[in-house]
Amino acid sequence: MLSRRDLGRLLVGAPFSAWACQRRPAVTTVAGVVFGVETFSFHDLPPSGDPQLIPTIIGNLKALGIAECEIMSGHIEPFASVMTGWWVQSRRSPDFPKLREEAREWRLNVSMDYYRNIRRQFEDAGLRIHLYNVNFNETFTDAERDRTFEAARALGAEGFSSSTVLSEARRLVPFVERHKMFVAMHNHNNLTDPDQFATPASFETALAISPLFHVTLDIGHFTAGNNDAVAFIRQHHDRIINIHVRDRKRNNGPNRPFGQGDTPIREVLRLIRDNRYPIRCYLEYEYGSFRFSLDEVKTCFQYCKDALA
Amino acid sequence: MLPILQGRAGLASRTLGASSWTIVLVAVVCLAAGLLRAAPSQDRDAGGHRAPTVALERGRTIFVLNHCHFCHGEDLTRATMGAANLSVSPLVGGDVDGNAIGAIVRAGLPNLQTAMPSYAELTASEIVDLARYIHYLRQQARHRALATAASAPAGDAALGQRYFAANCRSCHSAAKALTGIARNKYDSATLRTRILRPGPAAPADGVAVSAGQAAHLRLLENYTMENVQDLVAYLSGIR
Repeated sequence: MLSRRDLGRLLVGAPFSAWACQRRPAVTTVAGVVFGVETFSFHDLPPSGDPQLIPTIIGNLKALGIAECEIMSGHIEPFASVMTGWWVQSRRSPDFPKLREEAREWRLNVSMDYYRNIRRQFEDAGLRIHLYNVNFNETFTDAERDRTFEAARALGAEGFSSSTVLSEARRLVPFVERHKMFVAMHNHNNLTDPDQFATPASFETALAISPLFHVTLDIGHFTAGNNDAVAFIRQHHDRIINIHVRDRKRNNGPNRPFGQGDTPIREVLRLIRDNRYPIRCYLEYEYGSFRFSLDEVKTCFQYCKDALA
Repeated sequence: MLPILQGRAGLASRTLGASSWTIVLVAVVCLAAGLLRAAPSQDRDAGGHRAPTVALERGRTIFVLNHCHFCHGEDLTRATMGAANLSVSPLVGGDVDGNAIGAIVRAGLPNLQTAMPSYAELTASEIVDLARYIHYLRQQARHRALATAASAPAGDAALGQRYFAANCRSCHSAAKALTGIARNKYDSATLRTRILRPGPAAPADGVAVSAGQAAHLRLLENYTMENVQDLVAYLSGIR
């Protein structure tokens, strides 16, 4: 029998519980495997800062029937991500120092309501930003790193996916600890620069630095670097947050439509399904096509569904 | 009071009527603009605008299906992800039918920060088609940049003469071409237009490109704004 106090708690708590249930974003699964999209896949979006950018991403996710995404900073911040210093080549532009400073000023001064408003737009549509894709690099100041972690939390992200380098990962240690938020390192396939994430060894070095360092394994780039994605996932599944699903040829070969490259997409998806690894599978469309992105991402998703059928 | 009120009401009514029409008109225009934007265009797709000739469209197909446009931009000017701006790259400027571009495309740039992929499977003829399409895009991009520049530096006639001697004299003999220019007395704007691109704005199937036009297109790919202004200054001074 309920006491008056229990009844009171129930009456007060019920609306909040109902609200929480309604707000809990859906999760898209296929045969138990969670799917999402890396928003880089949408190549024909309005430019950074355009008011239609976020609504278009939301519309695309709804059209795909996929509830979560890893969103690029260039899709959140009102300036192109080239202004944030990740690409070393872009730092050589004479305009870069001024543009970089403008980006920093914006980050340090923008209200967190800016990010909360974007989160609300996703949640109102029954979607969620699971990961914030920020490419941390040496041009960040500490204050900027702090604000970026706060921004990720305001967006509702659980952590970051980051194309970064080992030297920057070492700088991030106090920030992941202070904000209690993980960073998942994303790989490319530059095998000559030991600071880049491209090989099992480079990931293992970062994983040993902090328990809050994880992996976003891009299985296409990993294959292009002649690594074995299946073996890596078997060995490190407990530290992999998500994979980027794309198909590339080996030997630094190009991106290809799913099923036409050398990437073991089917094997990887089935490995995750059969072992119930809690690894999210995020579609990343980057091969060439005359069709618009949404149509191609649908094709990519169908390939994955067929692989798991 | 009543007439005043009526008058005001009437004015309000007329104003409202005009506003309503304005709103309807704006809505129709916006809708039409939206439809135009959303509707698939006949001359463009996700890879950009269709090429003006069959041969160039072959090149565009290779360019798009190998996702070159994702990094280098569909018109070469909007390079992203640290990729080279091919509209001003000296390597592309010096290339002829893929003799420089082909080596990079085939081998890729594995040491680049995010590694440009290798397209080793492209055949020799595909490389030629791809390179010619890249040159076409570059010519269009350079023409846009040079013809529409908001401010141009004043030209130096002496430097223009030097440029002319080094790059133009093999075709334009001083005696013939320069007296022609003097006779026609082109103004600076016309001279500029003719220096940049004396031929048609784009090639067309069935229309041969003369050797002279081809030479001008090669120059167009490599002109700086200063080169053009110097040439204008030099040629304007010949009277």
